[in-house]
Amino acid sequence: MFSFKRLIIVLTGFFCIFIFILYEIFSLQTTDISELTETLEDQNLEIFYIPAPRGEIYDINNEVIASSNLESYLFINNKKISIENIDTYKQLIVYNFPVLTDDEVVKIFNQKELLSKVISLENVAFETRRKLLSYEAFEVIELPIREYPYGPLTAHIVGYIGKPSNEEMNLNEKVIGNNLIGKTGLEKTYENELSGIPGQIIFDNNEIINYLPPQSGSNIYTSIDIQLQEVVKDSLIQGLELANKNFVSNNPIERGASIVLNIETGEINAMVSLPDFDPNLFVSGISEFDYKVLSRKQAFNNFAIQGLYPPGSVFKVVAYWLASSESIFPEDISNRNDHINCEGNLSFGFDDGSKQIYNDWKLSGHGKVNLTSAITQSCNVYFWDIALTIWRNFGNEEGESILQDYARELGFGKITNIDLPYESAGIVPDRDLFEYWRINQPDRVRPEGWLGGDLMNLIIGQGAITTTPIQVANSYRTLITGKNIAPYLNKNATVEVNNLINVSDEFVSFLLKDLNTVTSNGGTAYKAFSILGKVADDTGGKTGTAQNPGDRNNTSWFVGIDSISNPKHIIVTVIDEGGSGSAIAAPVTRRIIQSLRGLELTSVEFGEVTE
Amino acid sequence: MINRRITILGPEGTNIYILIQFFLLNFISWFTLFTSIENIEFRSSDVLSRQIIFTLAGLAVFFITTYFSIETLYKLINPFLVASILLLVGLRFTEPILGVRRWFDLSNIGIPFFLQPSEFIKIAIVLFLAKTISSKQNIFVSLSVSLTVLIFIFIQPDLGTAILIGTTIFFMFFVSKIKIRLASLILILLVVIFFIFLELGLLGQYQLNRITDFFSGEDFSQQQSRISISSGGIFGNYFAQSLNYDVFVPVQTTDFIFSLYAKNFGFVGSLILLFLWILFFYRVALIIKSTDLDFEKYALSGFVFLLSVQIIINLLTVLGLVPLTGMAFPLLSLGGSSILSTSIIFGLINRVFIENNVVL
Repeated sequence: MFSFKRLIIVLTGFFCIFIFILYEIFSLQTTDISELTETLEDQNLEIFYIPAPRGEIYDINNEVIASSNLESYLFINNKKISIENIDTYKQLIVYNFPVLTDDEVVKIFNQKELLSKVISLENVAFETRRKLLSYEAFEVIELPIREYPYGPLTAHIVGYIGKPSNEEMNLNEKVIGNNLIGKTGLEKTYENELSGIPGQIIFDNNEIINYLPPQSGSNIYTSIDIQLQEVVKDSLIQGLELANKNFVSNNPIERGASIVLNIETGEINAMVSLPDFDPNLFVSGISEFDYKVLSRKQAFNNFAIQGLYPPGSVFKVVAYWLASSESIFPEDISNRNDHINCEGNLSFGFDDGSKQIYNDWKLSGHGKVNLTSAITQSCNVYFWDIALTIWRNFGNEEGESILQDYARELGFGKITNIDLPYESAGIVPDRDLFEYWRINQPDRVRPEGWLGGDLMNLIIGQGAITTTPIQVANSYRTLITGKNIAPYLNKNATVEVNNLINVSDEFVSFLLKDLNTVTSNGGTAYKAFSILGKVADDTGGKTGTAQNPGDRNNTSWFVGIDSISNPKHIIVTVIDEGGSGSAIAAPVTRRIIQSLRGLELTSVEFGEVTE
Repeated sequence: MINRRITILGPEGTNIYILIQFFLLNFISWFTLFTSIENIEFRSSDVLSRQIIFTLAGLAVFFITTYFSIETLYKLINPFLVASILLLVGLRFTEPILGVRRWFDLSNIGIPFFLQPSEFIKIAIVLFLAKTISSKQNIFVSLSVSLTVLIFIFIQPDLGTAILIGTTIFFMFFVSKIKIRLASLILILLVVIFFIFLELGLLGQYQLNRITDFFSGEDFSQQQSRISISSGGIFGNYFAQSLNYDVFVPVQTTDFIFSLYAKNFGFVGSLILLFLWILFFYRVALIIKSTDLDFEKYALSGFVFLLSVQIIINLLTVLGLVPLTGMAFPLLSLGGSSILSTSIIFGLINRVFIENNVVL
């Protein structure tokens, strides 16, 4: 039986409690506020920040390439250390952790922070931990530890973290307390996403009164394929060894870069720069000696995006595109199929009456050459003739920079906006730049300024022009797709369109067909690709051997396409002072293409020295 | 079964006062969150829009519940209880969130929502007890079922909800004219179990990390909360604008939302809010008096106990008069499960009203 009387009793009880609560609120809200605010100010809160675990970075198959793990650390609450107990704590530390040197122990107690880190407790027995915690100044705090499971393999992609500089402190609000920040690579580009929110330990005088746990940063999912990356690095190393064995060089040949760029999406599937380093060294702080050794070897440079090289013959596609679009051909011929007769050199006179002879790499000459065979055999004379046509048609007028304009459309002379920091822009020289240099850096140029010979140099990728490997890869991608977009590693990044270019389907199929002749019989890279057998009929590329000033060996270039019928990847390989593009960079790229096409990998064999 | 026409205010016969009450309380919640946007640095900025979406969902749930006749409902009690218990047991197999197993993370299946089963087991328990007590079933069967549920809530651990449900169970037996001696026995039993599990619970939770363990015992947030309430004065800061204290109160949008409310709207605001609730309980008491079905009397009393004890525990915590427990303020705190369960309760009360004031 329900008793309404008892319900009334209970509800009356509740009512009384409500009245009591209202009375409490009333008395609280009518007390002299100044008294309470004083306590608020008196609180004298201080905050110790705990670094937040950084987001993890994954490859295309969800392999972790940068992880964050929590480790327990012993800390000392410096506010609770006094003259009376300091010796006790020192003894406790020295006794329990004999690995710490005297200097280190002294340093622990000299810190001005609220809490100072003593040592990792990862390998410390549970009992010892509990014993230590019975002393009131000891605290255990979990700190995130960054780890790069693949070490050097992904060093230039993920970058590394370190203590922020003063400048970085001012720029980034999140840099509080002991947070390390991204210094290079994806760690730097995506610092805001990866960093998370630091935790707080709030002190009221010397007592810890509150704890707000840190919040992890977001993960980054990249397009890097770690297995491919391994193949690329291995191939590049073999290429370096091969170059050292076959060429006499004043300097050791040890620098190179290789990129695999997805044509359709613009993703980077692999990117290797040599020499490399182990980013894990930076997690606990790198020694000065190690740093200097690596620095001297230029191991911290990501040559794939920072290395500046004259592109040599790989740049000839710009003139190839220009010739096809503007119908500018060597004098006396009017279409891509007409031939010139290459005799191995070209002599021409300048307006001032002087005469100069330019020698092709093949002194005996290439014989009859049209646009296709000029690419196939990398005939310089054909392209010089195009330069002469430009020079004679436009010379010193508006439109004389047409070649440079085409080059800039493809992204030369400016950064590609890849999502990695410190990208180099390179140089596309023209009259204005030479004029500027003549005034500001007179050592760099002749006093006459821009001449026809400079244009002839430029058209074959020589002279003042410099490019990065990523620019070259992106320019070929742009030519094939008609869209110059910023290459990227973060799959969730918004795709940035740099500019659109006008290429017809007909042109693209001609281009691919002509690039195919380079790796086929008669092409400069045939020897390097012949091991592929029939598959070589479906691959393509362009060799490049660029001369360097001084006693430096030639730069070895190769731009490869994994398939002509179904182009999926552009592969660019550069070996600094590698001697010859067709001999070294081409077989390295061939091995990468073997991997991309799922073929059996064969070792990098010396190709043919051309150019 | 009585079929109702739908009017603009829901099914015909809807208690207009309950409906207005529901809207008013929701509106206060929105307003509090809205006014706090400038004061609080939200971790996620969409707090207000989430709350509005949940209240709209709550409104839908209110009407849907109203469409179930008490007769249908009566048949659904046992399945509902079993389902709730299964959800509660299922929690044991989830990943702990913030150190406790209290929520199902539905964002795994694409819904950005943390389901808290203990919010729904409260209703199931009240309905189950109302059914067993009114049909004069064996008191020990109903007691043991409720105690099993209590244990599962204890080990989440969720001390606050356990106390809330324990108290409600006791009062529901208390109003059923059982002998005072038996009532005292149940009370003692509940208290003993409470302390046994408090011990066990704390042992299981033992952590080496003293700092993360801080929340057990300290009252820093409560102290800050008192300062926050005090700074509200009689009329509150929101309309006065002159005083601006930078007070640090953890979880200000959930359990401690009252401290924010009192800070913004002062004593007058607090008086209005509590008056609204007291008025609501008074109206429900009138409905209880007018029904002739024991089941309805018990169920409605159970809901009144649930809501009022919840408010009392929340306010005592916020005022720093009892140790920290973690209890939401119904309809004011941010939290989807809490809003939805409170909406169900409002809907059920409305339904009982409709059945007793037949207009057909």
